[in-house]
Amino acid sequence: MPMYQVKPVCGSHMETELPTCMYRLPNVHAQQGGSSTSEHALQNGEVDPAVKALEARQDEIMRKLYELKAAVEGLAKTVTTPDADLDLTVSSSLSSQSPTSTTFKGVTDLDTLMGKDLGALRDIVINANPAHPPLTLLVLHSVLCQRYRVLSTVHVHSSAASVPPQLLSCLGPRHADSYARQMFQLGFTLIWKDVPKLQMKFSVQNMCPVEGEANVARFLFKLLSPYPSDPAVATLVDSWVDMAFFQLAEGSAKERAAVLRALNSALGRSPWLAGPEFSLADIACYCCVLQSGPASSTPTNVQRWIKSCENLGHFSPAKLFLK
Amino acid sequence: MTKEEAQGSTEEEQQAQSKKGLKKQQKEAEKAAKKAEKQAKLAAEQQSTEEDDFAKDRYGVLAMVQSQQKLDRVLVRVQDFTPEKADQLIWLRARVHTSRAKGKQCFLVLRQQQFNVQALVAVGDRASKQMVKFAANITKESIVDVEAFVRKVEQKIESCSQQDVELHIERIFVVSQAEARLPLQLEDAVRPDGEGEEEGRATVNQDTKLDNRVIDLRTTTSQAIFRLQSGVCMLFRDTLTKKGFVEIQTPKIISAASEGGANVFTVSYFKTSAYLAQSPQLYKQMCICADFDKVFCVGPVFRAEDSNTHRHLTEFVGLDIEMAFSYHYHEVIDSITDTMVQIFKGLRDNFQTEIQMVNKQFPSEPFKFLEPTLRLEYTEGLAMLHEAGVEMGDEEDLSTPNEKLLGRLVKEKYDTDFYVLDKYPLAVRPFYTMPDPNNPKYSNSYDMFMRGEEILSGAQRVHDAQLLTDRAIHHQIDLEKIKAYIDSFRYGAPPHGGGGIGLERVCMLYLGLHNIRQTSMFPRDPKRLTP
Repeated sequence: MPMYQVKPVCGSHMETELPTCMYRLPNVHAQQGGSSTSEHALQNGEVDPAVKALEARQDEIMRKLYELKAAVEGLAKTVTTPDADLDLTVSSSLSSQSPTSTTFKGVTDLDTLMGKDLGALRDIVINANPAHPPLTLLVLHSVLCQRYRVLSTVHVHSSAASVPPQLLSCLGPRHADSYARQMFQLGFTLIWKDVPKLQMKFSVQNMCPVEGEANVARFLFKLLSPYPSDPAVATLVDSWVDMAFFQLAEGSAKERAAVLRALNSALGRSPWLAGPEFSLADIACYCCVLQSGPASSTPTNVQRWIKSCENLGHFSPAKLFLK
Repeated sequence: MTKEEAQGSTEEEQQAQSKKGLKKQQKEAEKAAKKAEKQAKLAAEQQSTEEDDFAKDRYGVLAMVQSQQKLDRVLVRVQDFTPEKADQLIWLRARVHTSRAKGKQCFLVLRQQQFNVQALVAVGDRASKQMVKFAANITKESIVDVEAFVRKVEQKIESCSQQDVELHIERIFVVSQAEARLPLQLEDAVRPDGEGEEEGRATVNQDTKLDNRVIDLRTTTSQAIFRLQSGVCMLFRDTLTKKGFVEIQTPKIISAASEGGANVFTVSYFKTSAYLAQSPQLYKQMCICADFDKVFCVGPVFRAEDSNTHRHLTEFVGLDIEMAFSYHYHEVIDSITDTMVQIFKGLRDNFQTEIQMVNKQFPSEPFKFLEPTLRLEYTEGLAMLHEAGVEMGDEEDLSTPNEKLLGRLVKEKYDTDFYVLDKYPLAVRPFYTMPDPNNPKYSNSYDMFMRGEEILSGAQRVHDAQLLTDRAIHHQIDLEKIKAYIDSFRYGAPPHGGGGIGLERVCMLYLGLHNIRQTSMFPRDPKRLTP
């Protein structure tokens, strides 16, 4: 017979689970993706999907931020500039290029424009007089550089007397790969020479030389985007280009004043000279206005238009040059 | 015949005879008359010579200058005769270019190199008739000492270089007399070819000129050409020295033919034979391996090529450059082209008179160039030739007509007479040319052209002994013969490149001449060994 009866402390019958294996290792061969169990195998440096997702989210946020930033910038510009590519700037995705490169719409193909690629650099040779540097062409050159891989070189011809150093560096610094001419799509060779009129030579067999800054500008512009298909607009652009070169640049003070008045009235009607889109006419007129010197009597529309042009950023080489 | 007829005929004969006789008599009479006239003239002349010659001591033939005495006389150069010297009494020594008598006066043209001046002897109280006669009879090309007054003239003397003055001769002495019959006349030698044909005047054949080089070199054209050539050499040395180059002299008698066995002259060398160097290539490279960094050398080059062309000589002056570079062989091209541009600029700015003088006889377009020099790639050149309709393979070398055509195309497009063609195909270059790193078909080699003709062939050299051996084996060259050459790269060699130009060819092409013998003083070609 027991002395004391104590109530049992713990339950009478407890089933303990005895483990059958000593260590449990994670399964090396498991190929299940997407499950987020902590025992899921991580193979070959694969990043934990959670981290990956986090990174992806972060990238997405940054991208959206950049887009917003670009949109705000574009909007800021449109406040002062009747920007032709307002739509594009706001909705452009992930484009790290400056908005200016998308200014010129239209598909252009070097082969159709310049003839079959014969396996060698397509070199455009421009002979210019150092006394009359062609600003329009410098502007077009910088736009071309954004579009294509351009090899730019500047030479001084033996007929030209000494040339100021800024003319020697007007096409920008020498490209790092300039020792391999074959790597470039287009060559832009500017030769400072004692010529009466600016001249361009491209394909000696098939083309006669193109004379006059206006005509060369037209040729180079066609490499960027085709002329407006509407003949009326195309003619308008042409007439502005001619007016810029003949009357603004070379005309008497009276003619220049007349052109400025015409510019003023045209710009009152539309944001750009040839309608709602930026075109060669604006480039040509801007450069000629700039070259003829700052006038205190520039009409208000023209001044506004000048600021819009500068906002676009194409014209920095021209401005730098004139300084 | 009847008697009467016979009689008639004899009478006729007699009449004919008498006619003939009359004629004969007349002729004899004329002859006699002429003789008498001549004799009378001679007598008269003798009389005049026997007249008192008061100017006897103011003219004559000097005794041969054997340094009998040291005179302190100052001789004035012809180019210094300007109106500033008017009315001065001066001495000069010059050649008699022409002399012609006109009544009581004799006009002489006295010449010194490219300058000439008119001189005048007139019968008066200072000069006698005999003196004028003596002056008129001095043979052309004789060297004379003249004392004269410089006088201004009203009308410019177009035919002389000194147009504003003329000399009035006080004394005239012959220092060295020239033979009366000259093998060629200087005016003919200077006459442009076209003019000669048009006006029916004589021009001188090139062979005659070369055979009598001593006289031909006296012409204004030749003087101008060789002064310009001297200028090229001087500018070459000066430009390179300024860039830090060192001038070296390399041996010309060598033991092994450097460029290939065919075109080399053999000389007997004591018990064996040796060769005359085709180029200083090997020694330039050895100098680079000897740490001279940048070298150039000016010296003769001997090529035994049996080419009788307008641009080949068997011996010519080679101006060679070699330099070590840091990373890219374009550093070498830039250096060489800059040197060439400095030479062209120097000639354009300082030798304009010489260039104009040569252009008078050999008209040509002035030489144009770009700075920095235009550099096109071989593929671009091929593309331009294809566009012009020439069929050529990718790895073919340019033939001479193709080179000329390419030169014209480049001139049309870029308006330059001087350009570089880079990246030649490896197959057409010598074994020591460095292959292109990315494309084994091409090489790091280049040629430079003036007026469409090649003046320089250069490249980055192989500076690794193993690669050099491989390339030599590939070109089937006997390794024993070039062992010394390969050995020079075994003890550390920097990457280097260079090129060489021919002085005569550069001058010929700069001036737009058509035959290299015109720019070589005493040319050597397969058919000519003298003078």
